[in-house]
Amino acid sequence: MQTTRKNILKALLPILVLGVLAFIYHSYNPSLATFYLPCPLYYTTDLYCAGCGSQRALHHLMHFEIGKAFGYNPFLVISIPLLIYAVVVQYVNFVWNTRFRVKLFYSNTFIVIYFGLAILYMILRNIEVEPFNFLAPR
Amino acid sequence: MENLNATPPDNYLVWAIVTTVLCCLPLGIVAIVKSSKVNTLWAQGDYEGAQKESASARLFVILAASIGFIVQLLILVPFLIFVMGDILANY
Repeated sequence: MQTTRKNILKALLPILVLGVLAFIYHSYNPSLATFYLPCPLYYTTDLYCAGCGSQRALHHLMHFEIGKAFGYNPFLVISIPLLIYAVVVQYVNFVWNTRFRVKLFYSNTFIVIYFGLAILYMILRNIEVEPFNFLAPR
Repeated sequence: MENLNATPPDNYLVWAIVTTVLCCLPLGIVAIVKSSKVNTLWAQGDYEGAQKESASARLFVILAASIGFIVQLLILVPFLIFVMGDILANY
């Protein structure tokens, strides 16, 4: 890995963007602020997608309120370690033009299971009956 | 020069999943299918085919993201007007 001026620029850019986003999500509660973007699916159809509640969950995660975050989107909270790992790998590849791969993403068994779970989760959280409504963002 | 056959081409799975979840678009699902094809072809030793599927996975991720962005904009404009109206009505 060689570090040149171009590498440094490429290294700083994502940190700057992510830093600004992290600051916004940390400072403003999406449940109270009006400027956050609504989910297009929920806004148009009143249906929850698998990602609904992610912004609120992210805000509470940044305040180490895991329980609250879990209430808004348990699927995201569980996926966070994998997401961070994947983003770090992408970041390293982007900055140093390397070709590191996340092994898990090259397994079709993983894709089918993870995506199957996401779709099942989306269907279940839209059922407004006792055990399932727990999965709706709240 | 590293051996290009040692690592599979990028299957853009993270981006495919992110665009699917964030935009709820059918194009994202096409991208996920293309991603999985990269894996299958690579495992079969079809490096050229894997490379091709990788390129089309990338294309579909970009397509899904662009269309998702336009849809967001179309929803965002009435949403912003609504927010502005709300703010003006309260002051």
